[in-house]
Amino acid sequence: MLANFVSAALLAVFLQNSIFERALGINILLYAARKRSSVIGFALGLCYITTLSSIAVWALDGAFGNHERYAVISPVLYILVIGVIYISSLIAVWRFFHNLFRKIKKFAHLAVFNCAVLGALFIGSRSGADIWGYLGYGFGTGLGFLAAGYLLYVAHTRLNSELVPSVFRGMPIMVIYIGILSLALHAFVGYSASA
Amino acid sequence: MENDKRRLSDGLIRQNVVLMSGVAIAPVAACATNFEKSLALGMGFTVIAFLGVLVCRFVPKKIIYTIRVIIYALIAGLSYIPARLLIDAVFGEDVTASLGLYLPVLAVNPLILAKTETRFCLRPPHLMMVELLGYIVGFDVVCVFVGTLRDVLVNGRVGWMNLSAGFFVPAFETTFGGLIITGALAGMCRAFYNRSKRKKAEKAEREKRRREFIEEVI
Repeated sequence: MLANFVSAALLAVFLQNSIFERALGINILLYAARKRSSVIGFALGLCYITTLSSIAVWALDGAFGNHERYAVISPVLYILVIGVIYISSLIAVWRFFHNLFRKIKKFAHLAVFNCAVLGALFIGSRSGADIWGYLGYGFGTGLGFLAAGYLLYVAHTRLNSELVPSVFRGMPIMVIYIGILSLALHAFVGYSASA
Repeated sequence: MENDKRRLSDGLIRQNVVLMSGVAIAPVAACATNFEKSLALGMGFTVIAFLGVLVCRFVPKKIIYTIRVIIYALIAGLSYIPARLLIDAVFGEDVTASLGLYLPVLAVNPLILAKTETRFCLRPPHLMMVELLGYIVGFDVVCVFVGTLRDVLVNGRVGWMNLSAGFFVPAFETTFGGLIITGALAGMCRAFYNRSKRKKAEKAEREKRRREFIEEVI
């Protein structure tokens, strides 16, 4: 049980990091990497929503997974799950944590409705694991985003400095930097160009 | 007419969703690994974004944004269904399967969730269509270009046409290869855009001086 959770979480953080392995959520990361607090905030939001949604997705997969056309309608169902969790969480925060609500209300939807969250639910679903696997993958996706976000945050100032040619400054050099980090991670897990 | 042309080129170049703003970079970098897949991805994006934005326009503004964004995402999710069926019919289920999760994640792309709110809904219908077309074509052109480039570099072919290139770089099929190519193209696109902007400004300046000179002479 715990082993499944931990192994799925580690898989999502290192081997199948949503940013480095699948490029999911790069647009959010480029936006969040400007400030450390944004990286942490977005990663927490992403971690929360993917972990909770993965429970509902596990239930949905169990109930309708064998249906012939499930693959066609699953994105709408997953978005519905994310939407319900998002709105109920916002209501809870608004009711009990007014200050937190004021801080997050402008950015919450960015952390929730993005391809990193939806992609994590799909990958978790395709892994065919038990509920602990789903939960671990959802939780690990948030941690993986935090790790990737921190790596981008520490390089942000230098990547936007005068050292970089003006046309590459900002988004282009950051995407190339993510690509190089991704290459390093591929080498770490045993990528071979001839394979 | 001139205004329409400018609006069309806005999404095509100046605010290209892949190379300039980077909001739809994931599918191109990770999934557009060959010509056929990039065409299928472009078709999926076209159907999802077009239907999504078109229907989202009718969502009443009285509903608060927190709820509206969920409705936008659900509409885009529903637009995925015809997109998926169309790609199945045109390219076959194998190609759809090879697109993996990158086809459904197009439903939560910021073009629908954010630009509908901040741009498309603020325009009259015909201008909205021109702008939307620009954004969609902007994505499709970059997607197919990256897919073709990677097809040449990785397989030495474009679609079914063998180029006998003689050299292959299999690493460009991976996500990191896609990210490096896309980042480099983004830099080149900015350089091209800045250069054309500078040339236009120089031309306008020359024209201004010429007029001033003529006025002085007269």
